[in-house]
Amino acid sequence: MRKQFVVVGVLAGLSCLGVAEAADNMEGLARTCFNCHGTGGVSAGTSMPSIAGLPEAYLKSVMLEWKRGERASANMTRLVKGYTDDEIAGLAAYFAKQPWTPVPQPAAKAVLAKGRKATERCESCHGATGGQPDEDDVPKLNGQWAKYLELELAKYRDDSFQMTHKRMIRNARKMGAGDVEAAAGFYGAQGK
Amino acid sequence: MSQINRREFIRVLAAGGAASAFPAVARAAAKARVVVIGGGYGGATAAKYLKLLDPAIEVTLIEPNKSYTSCPLSNEVIAGYRDIKTLQVGYDGLRKHGVEVVQDLVTGIDRAARTVTTQGGRKLGYDAMVMSPGVEFHFEGIEGYSEALVDRFPHAWKAGPQTLLLKKQLEAMPDGGKFVIVVPPGPFRCPPGPYERASLVASYLKHHGKTKSKIIIMDANDSHSKKGLFQQAWKKLYGFEKEGLGTHGMIEWVKGAEGGKVVKLDAKTKTVSSDFVDIKADVLNIIPPHKAGKIAVASDLAKADGWCKVVPMTMASAEDEAIYTIGDSCVAGEMALYGNPDANFDMPKSAHIAMTQAKVAAAAIVAKVNGLPAPQPYYANTCYSIVDEGYGFSVAHLYRVENGTFKYIKEGSGISPVKMPDNSEVPALYRKLEAEYADGWLRNVMADAFG
Repeated sequence: MRKQFVVVGVLAGLSCLGVAEAADNMEGLARTCFNCHGTGGVSAGTSMPSIAGLPEAYLKSVMLEWKRGERASANMTRLVKGYTDDEIAGLAAYFAKQPWTPVPQPAAKAVLAKGRKATERCESCHGATGGQPDEDDVPKLNGQWAKYLELELAKYRDDSFQMTHKRMIRNARKMGAGDVEAAAGFYGAQGK
Repeated sequence: MSQINRREFIRVLAAGGAASAFPAVARAAAKARVVVIGGGYGGATAAKYLKLLDPAIEVTLIEPNKSYTSCPLSNEVIAGYRDIKTLQVGYDGLRKHGVEVVQDLVTGIDRAARTVTTQGGRKLGYDAMVMSPGVEFHFEGIEGYSEALVDRFPHAWKAGPQTLLLKKQLEAMPDGGKFVIVVPPGPFRCPPGPYERASLVASYLKHHGKTKSKIIIMDANDSHSKKGLFQQAWKKLYGFEKEGLGTHGMIEWVKGAEGGKVVKLDAKTKTVSSDFVDIKADVLNIIPPHKAGKIAVASDLAKADGWCKVVPMTMASAEDEAIYTIGDSCVAGEMALYGNPDANFDMPKSAHIAMTQAKVAAAAIVAKVNGLPAPQPYYANTCYSIVDEGYGFSVAHLYRVENGTFKYIKEGSGISPVKMPDNSEVPALYRKLEAEYADGWLRNVMADAFG
């Protein structure tokens, strides 16, 4: 299953190669991101997020917050400080243009039921399945890797980890410990 | 390049046809022929991206092994945290992209005629070549040591059977035994690798109740990659006290200046000696000194103290514009010593860097074949080290090319925090996240290179 989706990502990346290369070699810069985030931005590793097709405003604001030291990250805070604001904007635009490629991961019925309930408070911003964000600065969650989502929620729930979105922090901390895994599993299982 | 040329580039790439930069040698069917030597992370990535960027280029990858075993994270195999199968991948993914994969060994290159010959008797012409042979070990640096001894004293520095052999020896080591790691003078592939290995061996011993055992790192160098992070972790997890021999704790690190440089081996008694000290090992892991791969040296491309010097814009060899020398066999930048904060560091020998170099080389070759100038290159590195279950950290590197030379971008580089900005301890979540990211990174580099 995983292989099939990665191939989709490759083809999506390829169709844009010429155009991006022509502009300012943003494709060349983006290719350095493929190492960790997958060819074309579609991740093959469960702890790494797919970034192809995420909203432009979301990608840009996260990178700028890392660069300005407002938002914690175990790793990305270092790399982005070496990019200009224009390069960050270019990367956000590049990845936002790629198709969002959900990788639905099977989950047990009990996990899905628990996850649906646990994500009720998320619905107003992310949509019922995580695939219909209401604003351009809200990430898509459907078919994102469940393991990654679990780790993201752990960041929002940890006092020591500096995150920026107050409402996310509040809501993530309202969840029970068992809800985190279920919520991540629920979104990870959604195709649309 | 001008706007018109850029548009032309798109048209050319879309149409799959153009005035070749190599009209005299290009075959009728293919726009150009590229031979890639070596099917590691660098070679595989170059082959794949050449095909993605211009399918009309004929790409042949020559690699002696049927499948590849990833060196990154192979220390987890030794400690029993990972199945070696998760590190293994074949070449069918590349074949699906249209790469011809030949299981053979390149034995000669005629640079003037632009042909390569193989052990299997093949002769191939090329318009451009990507040279990614990895490293060749040199066994002559230690008296009494030779290649014939690697089955007794595994290096496990090329992953595969050697990895499993070292794992077996570790498992058989009694409590109170000495696991000795001999580190060669830099530069060597995977700069933090020996220290990650020491950490994971300690983790194995600790979790198997063999806490009277010792891991002694005999280091030819005076400092190393991520030293502050490693020593912090060793103190926290494995009772590390301070540098030098004869300390408490499971791990002892002996720097070159204080007797760490091994010059002699007595194979019979499994004893290694420096100018200062003799150490009798129970498990002896000698990592031999290394230089550029044999074929790079044989074709006279490794003239920078045994390594291949490159043109920063394209990764082309400084010796031959038709050959692109990437990965562990090249030196990209000025070789700098650890511990110098102001150094313009050269690129570390890592899978990740080999892949970004491969992508730069592929784009440069495609541009050249299509009669266009090389696009602006970008080089980045990420390298994770695992020291225990759920405890990892990383280093990131960013490079640009300025005025035709490599420039290490300090602002975009650096190791995971040793302390928080307010001097407090780094929260455990940071270390846990990076241990998790290491696995995600592995899956993605393997898919991006071979998939």
